[in-house]
Amino acid sequence: MNDDAELLERIRNGAPDDFAEVVRRHQARVFAILHRYERDAHKVEDLAQETFVKAWRALGQFDGRAPFEHWLSRIAVRVALDHLRKEKHRRNEIGLPELGEDALDWLRRGDEPSELDGRAAAEILDLALRELSPADRVVITLQEIEGRSVKEICAATGASGVAVRVRALRARAKLKRALERLAKL
Amino acid sequence: MNERKRKQLFAAARGAPAPAPSAAFEANVMRAIRNEYPAEAPAIFDALNQLFPRLAWAAAAIILLSVAADWGLTVAGLPGLGDGMTQISAQWLLTPTGF
Repeated sequence: MNDDAELLERIRNGAPDDFAEVVRRHQARVFAILHRYERDAHKVEDLAQETFVKAWRALGQFDGRAPFEHWLSRIAVRVALDHLRKEKHRRNEIGLPELGEDALDWLRRGDEPSELDGRAAAEILDLALRELSPADRVVITLQEIEGRSVKEICAATGASGVAVRVRALRARAKLKRALERLAKL
Repeated sequence: MNERKRKQLFAAARGAPAPAPSAAFEANVMRAIRNEYPAEAPAIFDALNQLFPRLAWAAAAIILLSVAADWGLTVAGLPGLGDGMTQISAQWLLTPTGF
């Protein structure tokens, strides 16, 4: 089985167990997307499962015009957005105890350049992004961390180009303020 | 926090390691999906149960047709269906030489 198209054709023609191969091929990408929005590994796994089950249900709607990976990524982003909306009430408090020593040290240095690893950066961003609405968080994450274009963000979120640009501008300003507040704590 | 530090933050976050799927992840997904497969071919009794309303209507129609035919034959002065059965029984099935 060389590519996704052939594999998906087999599944549609009555080999549903071959979906396991779809999971194997794309699980790393799905986990990477979801991890941008949820740091708890168990919850990421639950969300990844939800993503694949939704993809399975909607497989008949995949028309093959875009790569399967892009289509699956869109489902993952929407699962993440739903998750953020559900979790919003639980996550509206910022607290320094959730940050590790490396993250705290980096923040306390102010504008002075210093080393920062991925884990510490993710901790800081996770805290700061909690101040944003779920939709703003998704847009800024896609744009600044995943490096997606406005067009790609439109495709992933179903929003218009104008809406994405406005949201990105607003989200960036809110994030800047949140990071400044964190640096002062 | 200046722009340079913010860019550093985003760049570092890009490299944050995502958790790896657990060993059971693929099996869990497939278990969840199998619950959504179309149902297997129904057993014979399930098939009969599904067909029951049609079978019942077909049986009722046959009975009605038979009664109507018997009544029609009687009115026309021809031997009815019951007479035919009695004749067959008398001539073949229940005679001492029948078996």
